[in-house]
Amino acid sequence: MTEPLLRLSQISKSFGAVRALKGVSFELHPGEVHALLGENGAGKSTLIKVVTGAHTPDGGLLEISGQAVHNLTPTRAQALGIACIYQQPALFPDLSVSENIGLRLESPAVWGRVYWRQRREKAMSLLKRIGADIHPETLVNRLSMPEQQLVEIACALGSGARTVIMDEPTASLTRSEQELLFAVVRDLRASGAGVVYISHRLEEIFALADRVTVLRDGESICTRPVRSDSGEMQLSEEELIQLMVGREVSAIYPPKGRSPGETVLELKNVSCAAGNVSEVSLTVRAGEVVGLAGLVGAGRTELARVLFGITPADSGSVRLNGKDVRIQSPRQAVELGIAYVPEDRRRHGVILQMPIAQNMSMAVHPKLFPGKWLRFGAEKALGLRFIQELGIKAYGPEAPGGSLSGGNQQKVSLARWLATEPKLLILDEPTQGVDVGAKSEIHRIIRNLAEQGLAVVMISSDLPEVLGMSDRICVMRGGRLVASLEGVDATADSIMAAALKAH
Amino acid sequence: MAHANRSLKNILLRHEVLLLLVLGCEIAYFLGFARNFGTADNLTNIIRHSAEIGLLALAMMPVIVTGGIDLSIGSLMGLCAVLFGVLTHDAHMATLPAAAVTLAVGLAAGAFNALLITALRLPPLIVTLGTYSLFRGLAEAVTQGTKTYRDFDPSFLSLGEARWLGVPFQAWCLIGGALFYGVLVHATTLGRSFRSIGFSPEGTRYAGISVQKRTALPYLLSGLVAAVAALLFTARLRQARADAGTGYELLAITAVVLGGTSIFGGTGSVYGTLAGIAAIAVLNNGIGRVPLVLKAGIGSELAALCTGALLLIALAAPGIGRILSNLGQRRAAGAPSAPKLEKN
Repeated sequence: MTEPLLRLSQISKSFGAVRALKGVSFELHPGEVHALLGENGAGKSTLIKVVTGAHTPDGGLLEISGQAVHNLTPTRAQALGIACIYQQPALFPDLSVSENIGLRLESPAVWGRVYWRQRREKAMSLLKRIGADIHPETLVNRLSMPEQQLVEIACALGSGARTVIMDEPTASLTRSEQELLFAVVRDLRASGAGVVYISHRLEEIFALADRVTVLRDGESICTRPVRSDSGEMQLSEEELIQLMVGREVSAIYPPKGRSPGETVLELKNVSCAAGNVSEVSLTVRAGEVVGLAGLVGAGRTELARVLFGITPADSGSVRLNGKDVRIQSPRQAVELGIAYVPEDRRRHGVILQMPIAQNMSMAVHPKLFPGKWLRFGAEKALGLRFIQELGIKAYGPEAPGGSLSGGNQQKVSLARWLATEPKLLILDEPTQGVDVGAKSEIHRIIRNLAEQGLAVVMISSDLPEVLGMSDRICVMRGGRLVASLEGVDATADSIMAAALKAH
Repeated sequence: MAHANRSLKNILLRHEVLLLLVLGCEIAYFLGFARNFGTADNLTNIIRHSAEIGLLALAMMPVIVTGGIDLSIGSLMGLCAVLFGVLTHDAHMATLPAAAVTLAVGLAAGAFNALLITALRLPPLIVTLGTYSLFRGLAEAVTQGTKTYRDFDPSFLSLGEARWLGVPFQAWCLIGGALFYGVLVHATTLGRSFRSIGFSPEGTRYAGISVQKRTALPYLLSGLVAAVAALLFTARLRQARADAGTGYELLAITAVVLGGTSIFGGTGSVYGTLAGIAAIAVLNNGIGRVPLVLKAGIGSELAALCTGALLLIALAAPGIGRILSNLGQRRAAGAPSAPKLEKN
């Protein structure tokens, strides 16, 4: 067999206490399309960043074309024939296509002179080679997203890359554009290059890939050929999903609620064009934790933003406690008793420079400070109360939010919303980036709140968490609610199947 | 715990405390060396001359706390002064209604800034740079650049000299402004939200606070205050011209930043701003009274130079302090004082 283009052996990488990669092995041969599969957070992005030189691995061996490489930098990775096409093309929007290609491929000439004609011709021939109907003089900001992706591919081809990594390249492509892309991928394979292909769409993997490697929790679980030598399919969708999920619910979760109470929230065909939410119908009852599962970008956070009035709904009806409501702004949502603990804690959840007591009082200003007069004593009492109730580790209510650890910041963000005594609590990735101890504490708090009669919607990409915490699980895909699973039907496999599969 | 220790050090190193020390040094120096600095007359003089800039600085402070800026207030002062002249002279209005109209126009001009900044989400720097030219241009167009309004109602002009309980009228205006802004910024939920908006507009929005409405308020008020300053200015100088308040917006910003308000928004205090105003006012007054400067006749030039130097030193001081303490720590740890460059 020929020398592999890429060989990773036991690669590991940690960010602080989080072990993103725990000994991953992966091989890419010339003339191969090798699919990389895994849930959100399985370590795919980190692995790619190791290969492109953006991250330096903590341990393990990285070989490129048989040569062991240490201290890989993005520039060196490029020189070694590795090109990566990201989901979001990284082109200069105000420059033309040929200028963008030139900037990637040309090395500076004497006096920095630009050979415009050669540049244009080069761009033209590259675009022709991938069958893209794009004029080299078009400004990139006039191109659609898939066209920009094609330009990226042209750059990769032009650099003579032997290893091409594609990170969800079809996420924004139409059917015919996909076909075009597949043709380019097959063309690359025929020319002896290797392609690492990442996609959540299993049907693409069956259509395109020669082999599949499944990542789970930062480990490479297995590598399998898609077809046998005789051309028969050797893998099924079910098998792949099993491999991607394939774990027990390991952590201990608080016992689930018994009987939910009255309906608190009722959505009927709620859509928001700006927020990628279409025709969502959902009911949440008091005392119930509804898990919202799905892949990143499936529209879960967008749905939460619609409910919280950040991007108001265009159509459909929202009923809260039996009354029709129109939520146009966060202020209004708060007044209606909706609380939203956002995903991006550092940008939206906590104001890092402000003391935690001031953070906690932010959503209850009208209640805590009648007549707009600050009452410092009442604010401090509120801070102390939640520090105690939620077990927040801080030196006092005056500690700035930024001085706390991630888990404690999350509790501050939660406290801000509990202070409003909401009827509906929406949690967006409540335990992301939170250490294990704080995580189970947050789980316990959520369950307590539900038992006190709060209706809880919990968005989470952490499957064990969704399974362990939710009384009912709704799965979103492409802005729609595609499944509602309860009891024995709610399994990791059924969730992943709903999140991944086409209709 | 180290925490308590550090807080004591923090209090001593608080910007406002340092600024008060600087102010103390200024006063001590001028008392020793400047001619007629420490007289009661001169104190009145300092206050009378700093009232307008002081009020503008107080109005600028919450604007900067929200992370914005208002460059138009000096020009608006010119426009309001001219408008007051037009109303009393050309339109033959009585002083009181004319003053009321002037204040209303100031408020409207502030609302115009606020509208562009909040409803259209344009950057405050650009919006107020535009109205900076617009307001001054209007004032100059009305007066054709040359006309000066004199002969105001004597009872209005007497305000420029008036005292109440022995304290100059302008001092009462400053005290009133300081109390108003002190309460607004430090004791109300409005002031609290200015701060959180300055730190993070998005974070504030996610807490259910209407960011646009709250951001508009300081601009509205700064328009009103510019009109008040225009009236005070007219009463003091006994005339109204289109160039009233030229450059005042920059002096106001200087006082605010010198007073410890972060130009990036979020942190700042009204008492710091007051100390900043005082430091600039005392410097401007005292330096012209130092015999050597007096003889050379370069009082205002030197005052501008020193104000600039003071601002830069005040801003650089924390950074320099940090570098020095880092150096000290490295020495103590026996490490090299500068990181060595690694060769490839």
